[in-house]
Amino acid sequence: MLLIKRLLVFIWSFLFLGNFCWASDPVSTSSKAAAISFVSNYGKLEASKIWPGIKPAWFMKNLNENITNPASVYPGEGSYFCSYSAITYLMLQDDPLGYAKFALELYNTGKAVYRNILYEPSESIKKEAGRFKYKGVMDIHPLDQMWYLTLADHYKGYLNLFNRKYDAGDENSFWASSNYGKFNRMAKKLLYYNLASSKGSDLFRPHIKNLYSCLAEKLNAGKLVLFINNRIVHKKDHVNIRLAVPTHFIVVEKLYKINDVITMVYWENGAKTQMQLSPAFLKRIVYGITAFTNTSNE
Amino acid sequence: MNKPYQIILTLLMSAAIFSCSPKNISTKYYFDNEQVLDQMEESFKNTYAEHPFSVAFTSRDFATVSVTIKTDTLNYIYDFNVGETRIADTLAAYGVPIAPVIELIKNMQSIKCAWISNYDYYTREKKNSLIFMSVKPVALKAPFKYARYYILTYFPQPQYFDSEGRLLERRKLRRLRKINGEIFKRINDKVCYSVSVNFR
Repeated sequence: MLLIKRLLVFIWSFLFLGNFCWASDPVSTSSKAAAISFVSNYGKLEASKIWPGIKPAWFMKNLNENITNPASVYPGEGSYFCSYSAITYLMLQDDPLGYAKFALELYNTGKAVYRNILYEPSESIKKEAGRFKYKGVMDIHPLDQMWYLTLADHYKGYLNLFNRKYDAGDENSFWASSNYGKFNRMAKKLLYYNLASSKGSDLFRPHIKNLYSCLAEKLNAGKLVLFINNRIVHKKDHVNIRLAVPTHFIVVEKLYKINDVITMVYWENGAKTQMQLSPAFLKRIVYGITAFTNTSNE
Repeated sequence: MNKPYQIILTLLMSAAIFSCSPKNISTKYYFDNEQVLDQMEESFKNTYAEHPFSVAFTSRDFATVSVTIKTDTLNYIYDFNVGETRIADTLAAYGVPIAPVIELIKNMQSIKCAWISNYDYYTREKKNSLIFMSVKPVALKAPFKYARYYILTYFPQPQYFDSEGRLLERRKLRRLRKINGEIFKRINDKVCYSVSVNFR
C-alpha cells in the first residue's frame, strides 16, 4: 500500500512539474502602471534622519527609473551585489507596486515588511547608504544602495560567516557575496514566482546531458537565472591558474541555437547582453540553474 | 652548503623576486610608453564618442580579442582572432568607425594592453567619464605570483592628490578615491596608475 502511495506521489509530482515546464509566461503580481501611479501620487519625500546619506529627490528618481525600466537596475562597479540585483530585476517585472511600497516604507521608517518578512538594516547601513562613490551610475542611485545593503544585511550564507557585520566598504567584500543556496533562499522569500527547480552548486557543475535543451525548456516555461563562472565568460585567460568557481548571476532572456552556435541574450549589470557560444562552452560556465514558473498570488 | 653560499643564494633569489615587484613599475612604464598610450587614449575617446564600445584581449598570447559593442538595447560581445576580416565587417554592421578600432587593437597588442574601456563616475551628482586601461607588462610577471596588471586611468580634468601622490576624492575632502577597490597614484595631473590582480 505504501509503495503504491509513493508511486502515485511520484507520478503526480512528475506531471505537476511537467505542466509547469511548459507553462505560459508568468502573470504579474502587480502592474507597472499601478506602481507608476502610486509613486507619482505619493507626494514630496522629505529628507530622512534615518538615512542621512540619501537625498530624497535622487531616491525618487531612482525609484521611478527602476519601475519604468527594470533592466536598468545596476549592482555597481566592483561590488558583490549581482545576486541582489538579479532578484531585483525579476521582482520589478513581477511586483513593481510591492517593491515601490516596500522601498518607501523602508525609507520612511527604517524598517519594512515584504511577504511577511521584516527587514530592518543595521545602523551602520543606514549611515552609509547613499554615500557610495565610484560605483558607476550607482553613485546617484541611493535607493539601490539602501536596498542591496538591506538584503545583504538580512540574508546570510556560509560565505558571509567571517564578516557578518557591515562596515563601510564591505559592499566590495565577502560580507555582500552570495552563494547559490543563499540566492535560492532569497528568491523563494522575495519573489512571488514559483521556484520550479534549482540544480547546481557552488563547486560542481550540474550533470545534464543536453544542457541547451534543458535551459531552452525552462526558459520557455518562465524565468531562468544562471549561476555562472564569469571569469570564463569574460575569458580572463591571462593567468595560468584560474579558480573554476561561479561568481555571477545572470537572467537569461533569449536562447537559440543555429548550426551548433548558441546565441544567448541575458540581463546583467543594468543592461542586456548578447553573446554567442558553443554547447561545450555553455557547459563549462554554468554551475547553477534556477527556474521559475507562474506566480502564485498570495 | 656553507654559510656564505647560503647568503649569496638568498640574496640572488630575493633580487630575482623583488626586481619584478610592482613597486619598480610605478611611473616608469608610463613614460617609456607614453606616446603609444596617449595615442590609444585619444583614439579610444574620439571613437567612443561616436559609438560606445570596449576592447579586451582574452588569450594569454594576445591573439584573441573580444569587442563589446554597446547599443541602446543590447551589448553585443564578439570574439575574433586578431587580423580577421570579420572584425571590420562587424564594426561596419553597427556603425563603429573601422580604421581607428583596428589601429587601436594593433596598438593594444603591441604593448600588451588587455583592456580599454570607458568608466563613468559622478562628482556632486555630475557625470564624468574616465578611460581605463589594463596593461600586462612583462616585468610584472614575477615568479610564484598571481598575474598583475598595470592599470592606467585617464581623467578628463586635473585631479587632487595627497602628499604621497595618492588620488583624493576632492580637494577639501581628503578621503582617498578608490576605483574598483584600488588606490591610484599620480603620474601627472590627469593620469594615474595602480597595480592590480584584476584587469577589469
